[in-house]
Amino acid sequence: MRRLLAILALLLVGAQAHALTYIETPSLAADVAAGKLPPIAERVPTDPAIEEGRPGQPGGEMRVLIGSPRDTRLMAIIGYARLMAYTPSYDLVPDMLESVDQKEQRIFTLHLRPGHRWSDGQPFTAEDFRYWWEDVANNQLLSPTGPPVALLRQGEKPKVEILDPLTIRYSWSEAMPTFLQMLASPTPITIYRPAHYLKQFHVKYADKAKLAALIADSHTRNWAQLHNRMDNPIRNDNPDLPTLDPWMLTTRPPSERFLFVRNPYYYRVDREGRQLPYIDRVNAAVADSKIIPVKVGAGEADLQSRYLRFDNYTFLKAGEARNNYRVRLWKTGYGSQLALYPNLNVADPVWRTLLRDVRFRRALSLSIDRHELNNVIYYGLALEGQNTMLPDSPLYDEKNREAWAQYDPAQAKRLLDEIGLTKRNSEGIRLLPDGRPLQIVVETAGAVAEEGDVLELIRDTWREVGIKLFAKPLQIELMHNRIFSGETMMAIDRGLQNGLANAEMSPAALAPVQQEDWQWPRWGQYYETHGMSGETPDMPMGIELMNLEHDWMNATDFEARRSIWQRMLAIHADRVLTIGLCAEVPQPVVVSDQLRNVPEQGIYNFDPGAFFGVYKPDRFWFVPEAPADQPS
Amino acid sequence: MFGYIVHRLLVMIPTLLAISLIVFIIIQLPPGDYLSTYMAELQAQGEAVDPQKLAYLREMYGLDRPEWQQYLYWVWGLLHGDMGYSFAYNLPVTQVVGDRLWLTFIVSITTILFTWIVAFPIGIYSATHQYSWSDYGLTFLGFVGLATPNFLLALVMLYFANTWFGISIGGLMDDRFIGAPWSLAKFGSVLAHLWIPVIVIGTSGTAGMIRRLRANLLDELQKQYVVTARAKGLSPFKTLMKYPLRMSLNPFIADIGTLLPHVISGSAIVSVVLSLPTTGPMLLDALRAQDMYLAGSFLMCMSLLTVVGVFLSDLALAALDPRIRLGAGSSK
Repeated sequence: MRRLLAILALLLVGAQAHALTYIETPSLAADVAAGKLPPIAERVPTDPAIEEGRPGQPGGEMRVLIGSPRDTRLMAIIGYARLMAYTPSYDLVPDMLESVDQKEQRIFTLHLRPGHRWSDGQPFTAEDFRYWWEDVANNQLLSPTGPPVALLRQGEKPKVEILDPLTIRYSWSEAMPTFLQMLASPTPITIYRPAHYLKQFHVKYADKAKLAALIADSHTRNWAQLHNRMDNPIRNDNPDLPTLDPWMLTTRPPSERFLFVRNPYYYRVDREGRQLPYIDRVNAAVADSKIIPVKVGAGEADLQSRYLRFDNYTFLKAGEARNNYRVRLWKTGYGSQLALYPNLNVADPVWRTLLRDVRFRRALSLSIDRHELNNVIYYGLALEGQNTMLPDSPLYDEKNREAWAQYDPAQAKRLLDEIGLTKRNSEGIRLLPDGRPLQIVVETAGAVAEEGDVLELIRDTWREVGIKLFAKPLQIELMHNRIFSGETMMAIDRGLQNGLANAEMSPAALAPVQQEDWQWPRWGQYYETHGMSGETPDMPMGIELMNLEHDWMNATDFEARRSIWQRMLAIHADRVLTIGLCAEVPQPVVVSDQLRNVPEQGIYNFDPGAFFGVYKPDRFWFVPEAPADQPS
Repeated sequence: MFGYIVHRLLVMIPTLLAISLIVFIIIQLPPGDYLSTYMAELQAQGEAVDPQKLAYLREMYGLDRPEWQQYLYWVWGLLHGDMGYSFAYNLPVTQVVGDRLWLTFIVSITTILFTWIVAFPIGIYSATHQYSWSDYGLTFLGFVGLATPNFLLALVMLYFANTWFGISIGGLMDDRFIGAPWSLAKFGSVLAHLWIPVIVIGTSGTAGMIRRLRANLLDELQKQYVVTARAKGLSPFKTLMKYPLRMSLNPFIADIGTLLPHVISGSAIVSVVLSLPTTGPMLLDALRAQDMYLAGSFLMCMSLLTVVGVFLSDLALAALDPRIRLGAGSSK
């Protein structure tokens, strides 16, 4: 019965889609007339994804600047054609998939769109999924470490079934709530591959002699290396690799300029029947990352955010009128632009005891004047407070952001006295129990002026409560190694990567499961290496967070997940595990006056968000003549 | 003479081997490797990286092997003309260098010609008119040229050319020629874009050369043979060209040794600022990213050119200057 209903629904949707009369893309009309391309109705899926927003006009070339040829990968991120995708309000919806059925969050049935094609016109079917799972992910030579760890549930591989040419089923024996999110990531686990193209490099399918010749031609050691080089949809550097993205790479590296051309078989159309993307070409020119702001200010980009920083804002603003662009300020999604990470695993026993004392961490946080930081460094545009969720997140709680975040040196002094740090030296610096002065060395990575400025301001207010701060800029790898080995007392770095999470997203960043969390690197290492190295969490707080993360994976309903998230956030705020400073520091986004559909106010975040991805750049379009005073 | 040449050629082999070892060690000295640099770069732009993936890539690139093995692998490849594989570009090194090498040659050779054409007349003029107002004026200009950092000049030109003339400096050809095969039109476009980098890069070289030529020539002009030549009634121009000018050229010939590597690697910073598609920025990037085979192989090429260049300039000096004779001193 369900099956029948599904077919019925499919027919209905199909009928609705056919009600659309497609309008041929002008730039492709010549090729269609010459018979090089089939007409639009045969290029889009029989049931295309329909963009409901206001229609635009096709055509034009968008200029962007990239810092190195490696940045061709950005187009795969920004293009954001995914099986599942986030909407701008971070709801997870099927995108390339026609639909997805899930049962108990452990059995996922993916339905493809009939008639969906790769950029070379070959059909996109379940065979592409089978090829990846059986011949790539589970091939000893292509993937020596096996399928991606993120797809394993406590070591268990999913069961992958091909039900029919358009239906694939992934199932686990226990709940796998992160599966669909992984498909929507900016750098997703691409669980399909253009099998018809890649088989020529696969020893199982290829003609032996031809394959040997290809290997020799490409200077690779074996077929696996050749296959991996040709097959890198995330790196996006092989113009021959068929794609499903809105624009496909046409320039073969190395080059100083990369041209991306519209994918004639793209799966989305607007509500009047024009195939997306509207923009015909994307022209990505390589320039040194340090002069990109200058070039953008000279009007050499139509849409640019990468390599622009907040301190370029005034310069970019000055060029606006002359070069016909506008600078928009988007919010960023970090939990805190910069946060201090007291290392709970520091090797020095005296410091370890002190940094693990919650009163000490609270005192440090209370003696930072965030309001001053905000006004001096971010022109007062940032949001002051702890490193936690942002107001745009459904998990936002004002209490968490404000916990121990007001400037209160008197209370900080009381707390420090209470710990017993009452003796001071002649400079007025408090002394540790073993007689050393209380000098905190904060390690920073590299040459970003922002971090130095922030520490300079914190130094003054800490000095008042009797703590001396030294900033130590280090080369980034050196800093990482020092943190991993427990030499670092405190580090300063970006706050939570995703300050916009909802309860359906994994809370792993709040639990000690990653070596890259500077507040507990050795606990994270312990978890990541399954106990081979690192230290087992030996504080009740660490154990509780670890258990909560585990519970989240097993939780079956939304309410349970939300309360786990809230509990974890509350622990973080109350125990001041990281010391947040200011968040929502604006990201300048330069948009040409001719470009439409780029949101005035947006959120600039990597995951979720894919930078511009959630706003679907395939629907950005150019007006031929710009009425400069009219907002888009 | 023949023995000398053979001896010099044989000495090159251990020299180059030693250089290769030093190059490799220096590239490996900074902590981490290409992948950790890459990871840090992505994180700085707000992206996350899967550590498992990194371990796999490390194995694929052979970065997990001991360093002496990596070194032998690289040197063995070099001996067979295989320059290795660039991690950052995901391509063999020879393909990465490709077109850039020709553009670098064009820029460098044009710059050298520009330097000579401007520096010689001015140098000669200020030497023959020593302590005149025009000498002081040109000397002043020369010092300004010498003292202005190239990259600053490039930035200033970039800014003013844009605000005053609305043109964008940067790049070596019109957009439509990038990646296109070489043609007359493309060559023309390159020439049209060439003058700015040539002036920027050539300024300090020109200033330096004016000063050296002037000093050398002044030394010679005081000598007795010049006085004699003048006394005998030789025309001033011929006097100058025939003897003192030739004598003062020795340092330039000795310079050829350093000139050759400069031709392919010179002016990296200016090229970065002007975003020229030359080899300088590529080398800089490779070193920063620890893309070790690209950087290493490229540095080896430069070392080879330096060694060959020094050898050639020694030979040229011996041939040009009768006062330099091989073995004349040691045979005693």
